[in-house]
Formats: sequence, structure tokens, C-alpha cells
Amino acid sequence: MGLILREKAEYLATFRWLEVFLMETLARWVPTTPEMEVKVLMGRHIWDAAQHADALGKRTFELRAPLHYTLTPLPGYLGTMKKLASVEDTAGRIQAVYDVILPSLLARYQHYLQNSDSLLDEPSFRVIEGILNDYARMRKESEEVRAELRETLVFDPERAQRWSRQENAINDFVVRGTGSTLAREATA
Amino acid sequence: MTASAKRKTVQGVTLCADPAREDCFRVAQLDSEMQKFENGMSEDARREKLHRHMNNEMGALEIAAQCLADFPESPWELRMQLARQAFDESRHVRALHQRLRQLGGYKGEFPIGNFEWAVTNVCDTLAARLAIQNRTFEAGQMDLLGALRQIWRSVGDERTAEVLEHILADEINHVRFANQWIRKLVQADRRLLLKVASAVRFLADTNSVLAGESAADSAETSSEQHKKLGINVEDRRHADFSDDEINEILRQAGMSSLASAEAQA
Repeated sequence: MGLILREKAEYLATFRWLEVFLMETLARWVPTTPEMEVKVLMGRHIWDAAQHADALGKRTFELRAPLHYTLTPLPGYLGTMKKLASVEDTAGRIQAVYDVILPSLLARYQHYLQNSDSLLDEPSFRVIEGILNDYARMRKESEEVRAELRETLVFDPERAQRWSRQENAINDFVVRGTGSTLAREATA
Repeated sequence: MTASAKRKTVQGVTLCADPAREDCFRVAQLDSEMQKFENGMSEDARREKLHRHMNNEMGALEIAAQCLADFPESPWELRMQLARQAFDESRHVRALHQRLRQLGGYKGEFPIGNFEWAVTNVCDTLAARLAIQNRTFEAGQMDLLGALRQIWRSVGDERTAEVLEHILADEINHVRFANQWIRKLVQADRRLLLKVASAVRFLADTNSVLAGESAADSAETSSEQHKKLGINVEDRRHADFSDDEINEILRQAGMSSLASAEAQA
């Protein structure tokens, strides 16, 4: 199925919400995570998520939606994200972001690309391809920190797999047909 | 409860409770609990300086991050600046940790203090936090770094001087955006001026109660240290302090004659 213009704006606005959510989650975790190397890792990626949200928000405007148009995901997906953001232990937080959220967002971005037009929607492709490149670097950096802290952090692969299964089970995550909110004069 | 909502009491002053630290760190509440050295540039003293600075940068990262978490309704452009600051402070922590290890030091080698975090996060507006952390503590660090890089060079440590030079360049940006945004925020809501003034007063009172000293480098932003190390006038200009503000800072630091010269320049 190909996305129509309005749906593209809705997808990108939802991705923007998710990037802001990631930024805020990492920001909240920095002071409450004891390990210095993990604080540094999260601090670096706060900026990545902010830049992604910024680029997506500018692109929504080009798709006849408000500047920095942002849509909260559907309740099921929202609940899953909030559950992941409530993890307290350091190993779990690393797994939630780098083993679950980033891979799942990568798949959802790729789904968008598969359902859009690489010529007509090329600016969105450029933005998303940049985000996916960043994700690869972010996950690589998380692996380096895991290796550095291998003697102090214990990771439970089963837990990450369980979270991934829960995330994968949710197909639809974008609120559709927001109609009038796409008017330029709507609050950004 | 968010990290900034938790409280502790130090010598009768209510402050924000410490952020999370690994067990290897000994967290000091008073400057007297910090390690001091007779020879300020002995090998041990150099490592202590780097260790203290590393923790201060960690605190700056935590404060910027907490601002993002606590003020989701603030303008997006300002949030972008805070996110960038978090990235910069993260790099500073890494660079200082790397240098510390190169000099034979390690995490937790010396006591640390979280004074800046403890004072800044008592403020309940973003404008006040920017006024305390960026415009006061980080601007004070600009003054320090302006002099310290030369001190490290004078003992032949070019690498540390280079690290400090790059940190200084980043801090100027953090102070600049804070100066610019405080003006914008206050213009939009004049009541914030009172909040900013109260925050500055609170910082002064806290410093006074805690014997004019903090458990972190912020102690060195005091007028005594400024007299010793000087005000970094050039970089304060880069950071968008007005001439009047710079002259006032020079006067407060007991450099009235220099303030006059600056005014004539």
C-alpha cells in the first residue's frame, strides 16, 4: 500500500513524537543512572534524538502540515513505549533503548520507505536514511559501553526478547485521519 | 518523583538530593571534605583537578538533561540547545576521564561534590536554572579555563591544555544561548525576572551559609578566585554578556580599575 500525502505527514509526525520521547527518556535517565559511561552514552544520544525530531518536524511542514507537527502514537504502542521508559536498572535501560526501541523504530522507518516514493518523497528518504545511519552508530557505541562494563552489568537476553515480541505484536501505531489538524494554522 | 524533586539538607540549607553515582565515588557535601594539596600542580593535585572537573562536567550533563525532562513545554529551539549541551558535556566527561587515566588516575580516586546540581535544581523555572547553571557556574568556569589552560601549559602538559581549550570553546556557546534565552523568556513573561533574581539570591545565600565554599569547582568562581585568576572578558563578550554586565562582574571581583579601562576601551 502506498501512503497518500496526508498519511506521510502523519507517519513523520508520529516518528517525531517517538524521537522526542526517546530524547526525554534518555534525559530523565541520565541523572538516575549511576554508571558514568552510561550517562555519557545517553548524553550523546539525547542530541541525536533531538536532531532527528528537528529534521522530521521541518519535513512535516513541507508536507503541508504544521512546523514540528507531532502526533502521539495509538494507545497500544504508547503503552509499550511508556512501559519501556519505566525500566529502573541500568542493564534494562540499555536493552530497552538499544535492543528494542532502536531496532523496532528502524523496522517502522523502513516500512515507511517501502510505502513511499523515493523520488517524490526524496526529502523524507534523506531524513530517514540519516536517522538509520545514526541508529547504527548509536547501537555500535552502546556495544562498546557494554564491553567496557561487562564485569559490572548483567544483561538478561530473555527480557529484551520478550519486550521485542510485545513491540512487534503491535502493527498500527499511527493515528490516521487527523484531517483539520493538518491545516497550517494548527498549533505546532 | 523526578530526580530534581528529591531533597537533602546540608547545614540547614535545603538542596536537591544528589544524582546517582557509582559506589566507587565518595560524595562530599562540604568543601572541607574535598581533598586539597599544598602544591597545586603536583602530580596528585593535577589528577585531583581532572577528577573534580570530570565530575563537574557530569553534573553539567545531568542538569541539561534534567531541564529537558522537567520543561517539556519550553520552546523547541531552546530544547535543541539543551540537547546539544548534553552532547557537549558528555564529550567533556569522556575527554577528562581519558586524560585522567593517561595520568594514572581512575574513577573514584578522590572525593567529588555535586554542589551545582544541588543548587540549580531547586529552581522551578527554566530561566532560573539557566541563570544559575549556564550564566553563573559555566560563565565562572569560562574565567577559570581562560587561566587554567596556561597553567597546565606552564608545567608542560600541552594535552590537558588542549582539552581545556576545547571545553572552553563549548562552554562559551552554552553561556551564550543561556544569556540570549533568558532575555527572550523574561521579555515574554516579566514575572520570570523575579524568579531569576530569587535564584541568584538563593545561590549567594547558600554559598554564604556553606562558608562561602562549595564542594565543587564552583567555589573557584568566588570573587577571591576571580581576583587571582581574572575575568575572561573576551570570552564573556563572545558569550553575549553586555559591556555593562562585564563591568559589573569586574567591579564585584574587585577589579574596578580594570572595569574603568574596559569602559573606556
